[in-house]
Amino acid sequence: MAGAFGLKGCQKIRGPQIRSLLEAKDFFLFDCDGVLWHGEQAISGAAQVVSTLIRRGKNVVFVTNNSTRPRENYVHKFCRLGFTDVMLEQIFSSSYCSALYLRDVVKVRGQVFVIGCDGLRTELQDAGVPCVEEAADEPDATIYDCALAPDVKAVLVGYDDKMTFLKLAKASCYLRDPQCLFLATDNDPWHPLSSGRILPGSGSLTAALEVASGRKVTVIGKPSRFMFECISSQFRGVDPAQCLMVGDRLETDMLFGSNCGLDTMLTLTGVSQIEEAQEYRNSELTTNHSFVPDYVVDTIADFLPAFEELDEQSN
Amino acid sequence: MSGSKCTRLSGALVKQLLDSVDSVLFDCDGVIWRGDQVVPGAPEVINLLKENGKKVFFVTNNSSKTRKMYAEKMSAMGFAVTEDEVFGTAYCCAMYLRTVCKLQGKVYLVGSAAMEQELEAVGIQQTGVGPDHVSGRPADWANVPLDPEVKAVVVGFDEHFSYMKLNRALQYLTQQGCLFVGTNRDTRLPLEGGKAVPGTGCLLQAVETAAQCQAQTVGKPNHFMFDCVASQFGVDRDRCLMVGDRLDTDIMLGSNCGLKTLLTLTGVSTVAEAEAHQKSGCAERQGMVPDYYVESIADLLPALQG
Repeated sequence: MAGAFGLKGCQKIRGPQIRSLLEAKDFFLFDCDGVLWHGEQAISGAAQVVSTLIRRGKNVVFVTNNSTRPRENYVHKFCRLGFTDVMLEQIFSSSYCSALYLRDVVKVRGQVFVIGCDGLRTELQDAGVPCVEEAADEPDATIYDCALAPDVKAVLVGYDDKMTFLKLAKASCYLRDPQCLFLATDNDPWHPLSSGRILPGSGSLTAALEVASGRKVTVIGKPSRFMFECISSQFRGVDPAQCLMVGDRLETDMLFGSNCGLDTMLTLTGVSQIEEAQEYRNSELTTNHSFVPDYVVDTIADFLPAFEELDEQSN
Repeated sequence: MSGSKCTRLSGALVKQLLDSVDSVLFDCDGVIWRGDQVVPGAPEVINLLKENGKKVFFVTNNSSKTRKMYAEKMSAMGFAVTEDEVFGTAYCCAMYLRTVCKLQGKVYLVGSAAMEQELEAVGIQQTGVGPDHVSGRPADWANVPLDPEVKAVVVGFDEHFSYMKLNRALQYLTQQGCLFVGTNRDTRLPLEGGKAVPGTGCLLQAVETAAQCQAQTVGKPNHFMFDCVASQFGVDRDRCLMVGDRLDTDIMLGSNCGLKTLLTLTGVSTVAEAEAHQKSGCAERQGMVPDYYVESIADLLPALQG
């Protein structure tokens, strides 16, 4: 998909081009990990970019697949890392959106069996979605003798560092009922840490359950469209043409942008390398082209000189 | 006997088939037993086959028992079987690492005590068996101390599977030259009482997804298990019958190795599924069409007793 300025996909842009983009767009969607920060370390200049956009009257929202924290927790993190002025309403996490999906789209009646962190449960509870109590199973409980909750109408899988065989077994029992929904916060197979090492992601847990149940999961988070629908219903009249999705992962952020009809920008401070984007662009498989960003920057701090130029122009 | 397939085995055809083979390979779950319940008539079938001079072997994807444990279970049920006639994936996986991979070094094992024992029996040390939970913080997990002697990650059935084990397997697999072997891809463990127990295939998929690479699997339908039997016992493929209850593992193995195949209906697969594969016209699916089928292996008894 060519950008609004006739650029071919995957072009690194600087100064004047960024300036034009900043003037043309009024709704900015940012991924967090690898875009704004690495773990507890803010990316240099990122906080200034965000506050400048907000000061200039742009809409800014944050769209993250990370399901481990409730949104209040994210507000604290933003603050801690120097991103002032970020409000709860601007934060769209896959756990928050999963709760909205269950409450408002599915209108679930009955319990949800959750494989995930406390952060995910908190979002569900805050939305009034009933969850099966975390197992008070005996340490020796096995699938043969454990209790199964009645009336489970959905299984929701997120990142869970306390994942066990028993949870996998219980979930596959619940999923034998075709009326029981099979949902995941996201499908990311692994997550990078700031050290450069990686950890298994929700995608690996979901894959296990797909094999166990013989069913395909419905993913709430990026690259699925649902999080954009949440954003649209909260910010009435969001025009996809006015949006720019900024992320670091081709298979989640860029595909998400493409699925929602948004222009996309890859920043190179995170997971994906420009060579991977170029490979997708050169691929004969047209479906691979959806992974290709319209624009590329080394870091979102590259917006800062563009702001200065805009200031100079208006002076 | 080529050309026609998926024929019901009965009458004179039974003796004709048995006379045409010297060796018979049996799957276990869903064929000779279901969980802890013996399939009625199964011990008589096995014992009579042996009395009639046939070689009989057992080939199972279940990695939770050693060959010794299987032999003990079989004896208790009335099967006249010796340890070396049993080929489970715990044993075959150890043999694969020893004879094919020629593994120098240790294994990080996601699997059972039985797998640990079979590895030890061929001189391969393992680390990782048993419960393993997270403690500390995510940064610690990515930096778990790695045993420098580990040169392979092996995944089998593991009721202690946890996020931490998945994590350790991933950390080892990010190292150059680390082998990745799985026992089998079965999605479910057969059970009485209707509860579903996720199979090794699920655990393997979790590790493969995190590591973004595929394991080499040892179990059916891969031909390695047959190679194990054949190399130890001089089995002639042209005079060998594979008996199983799963089209995608047992029958497929038989097809892959050029054996005659017999589906029994006391387990997972149905005749309708077999016929669907046959009618599909898809070449890959033809390997899952058995030559013959019976309701139960007890259907072989009249021909054996007569």
